[in-house]
Amino acid sequence: MTQASTGASQGGTPAVSAPQAVIFTGSGAEYFGIWIVNLLLTIVTVGIYSSWAKVRRLQYFYRHTEVAGSSFDFHGNPIKILIGRVIALAMLIAYNFSVRLHSPLTLVVVVGIAIVMPWLLRNSFRFRLYNTSWRGVRFHFRGSVAGSYRVFLLNGFLAVITLYVMAPFMHQRLKAYQHNNSWFGRTQCSFHAAAGQFYPIYLVLLAGLVIFGIVLGFSGIGSAFIAVSNAQKHAAHPNPFAFLRLLGVLYGALLVVGLLVGPIFHALITNLIWRNTRIGEHRIECNMSPWGLVWIGVSNLALTVVTLGLFIPWAMVRLAKFQLEAVRLVPAGDLQEFVAAEPDKISAVGEETATAFDFDISL
Amino acid sequence: MLTAEYFDGQSTRVRVVNLEADGQFLSIAGEDIERRIPFGEVKVDERLGRAQRRLHFSDGAFCAVRDLDALDVLLASVAHRDGWVDRAQRRARSVLIALLAVAVLAFAGYVWVLPWAAGKAAAKLPAVVGRQLSVQTLRVLDGNILLPSRIPQDRQRTLSAEIHALRLPGGGVPESELLFRRSPQLGANAFTLPDGTIVILDDLITVIDDDPQILATIAHELGHAHGHHGLQILLQGSVVGTFLAFYVGDISSLLAVAPATLVNASYSRELEEQADEYGAAVLRLNGMSPALLAEALKKLADSHRGGGEMGYLSTHPATEERVRHLREMSR
Repeated sequence: MTQASTGASQGGTPAVSAPQAVIFTGSGAEYFGIWIVNLLLTIVTVGIYSSWAKVRRLQYFYRHTEVAGSSFDFHGNPIKILIGRVIALAMLIAYNFSVRLHSPLTLVVVVGIAIVMPWLLRNSFRFRLYNTSWRGVRFHFRGSVAGSYRVFLLNGFLAVITLYVMAPFMHQRLKAYQHNNSWFGRTQCSFHAAAGQFYPIYLVLLAGLVIFGIVLGFSGIGSAFIAVSNAQKHAAHPNPFAFLRLLGVLYGALLVVGLLVGPIFHALITNLIWRNTRIGEHRIECNMSPWGLVWIGVSNLALTVVTLGLFIPWAMVRLAKFQLEAVRLVPAGDLQEFVAAEPDKISAVGEETATAFDFDISL
Repeated sequence: MLTAEYFDGQSTRVRVVNLEADGQFLSIAGEDIERRIPFGEVKVDERLGRAQRRLHFSDGAFCAVRDLDALDVLLASVAHRDGWVDRAQRRARSVLIALLAVAVLAFAGYVWVLPWAAGKAAAKLPAVVGRQLSVQTLRVLDGNILLPSRIPQDRQRTLSAEIHALRLPGGGVPESELLFRRSPQLGANAFTLPDGTIVILDDLITVIDDDPQILATIAHELGHAHGHHGLQILLQGSVVGTFLAFYVGDISSLLAVAPATLVNASYSRELEEQADEYGAAVLRLNGMSPALLAEALKKLADSHRGGGEMGYLSTHPATEERVRHLREMSR
């Protein structure tokens, strides 16, 4: 439909340079049915069905995301995702036990995970992109294994030994690795933001966290909280009132960080990253309003709590719509001329492991 | 006749085509394309919301259709039937049934299955797990909210000897290690660590100030140790935390942090009752009255009420109910 109308407005010639807004057409009410049925099947199958549920969730969101009149699609195989999840769960259990029980094995497990993680993350990018298509042409990720070790292990190490002064630099290198190695069919993507552009946004984050720290320090509550919550966690029963008061203050502070500082940082950094990403010669605009994202987060959280979680499908749809519709594609030429590449098969192990360990693998 | 967009799977070129059912064939006709494909070789996507629905062909080409109702008519004419999950997802009745089933299962799982499974697992875990957890907990607590005890050494020894002389319902005597500590923040209290170690705070001894009643509170703590309640609560918290993190984590990782601690509050009451029952059994076995524990609980509740900020505990009905229950048991 959009295709037809833009074509007509240019008097017959294809409208190659008109910016194409990303449109998200999903609805919370529709998604609720999918969400609850798949949730029930997941519970009844003690979690096994969750891989199928995940594929359906991604398909719902991808297929309702349209650019230039055509939607995306997700092609992931649920069985592969299930295998990935089993491996991820095994790693998670090994990690949790080894961290809690100090033994010589701890070091072996942690080092082992650190060594396979970059490889798994690279696989996760490959899996996610390979299974994403637009108009039948698939995306690809062609980053090298060596590159992933450089980006995750070497740069991660540098960030830590420089007390995170190099964290923005590491973030820039990571995004460059991801985006420069992403392809749409035979068209390569490229990343143009310099590390210097990441630093001002990280300063905003730092300022927010410093204010959070000062408030927490002034209330003298940090150390007391850690002590009391540990007692609580290990089944002791200290004075419940004092505990609730501490909990209230700490969650208040956490809410400020999670609902204010976090989203503002996320919006600013997302705008920077996508404005500096190109698909071939086609540019991308991204204008996500930081305060708009704060509002989505606050209202989603409030409504999710009030409805005991039933609002979750609406919350997911609202967030997706807000984030996706901030993006526009500015074509430099005909969007009909992308050509598919030779397909390569990809394993799902990486993606599941990465999500279980809570790494940001969003692209 | 149905309009669709045809993609060859090789390029992003859009071709507008018409689709028609022609016996057991799908005929596609439009801009320089003319195909007839047996329906048996067409893979039909699920109908997800209002998204374009795709008909995939074996060579990677596909058609995207916007008019979903017209497509349903066409598919019905070739006796295509959507999968049962696909149908269930968009039928109001099955969605409602799923909602009710999820609510019932979540409630049953939380109230019965989880405590039962966590209790079983806690009893089976190797002792070293509880030991390690206790060592870690003490390391965090000591010097933080736990200070060295000011109770004289010989008084500590007398109490320990009395406690370790108690006979237990299953036979034998308590093996729990006893630790004496002082804590201005926690006040008059005693608690049991995951390996059964019992921490007795100075204020508890001074507030109760009566050896049989102190023994009664420790008998209650022995109930926690006997039931592996520490590990059970830990396991329950981890399971609920993981579960919620999985489902709520998509929206806000904040909510995912909360449950592990919040969930303990609601479980503790039942475990307290179990520990009371065990404590009462220990007391009866040693020729003492369960009413001693009731008296001790009242003294502890009163001491917390005096503190002002401890109002929550005293206004909480649980203590009164426990006291009444213990007095009934002592008759």
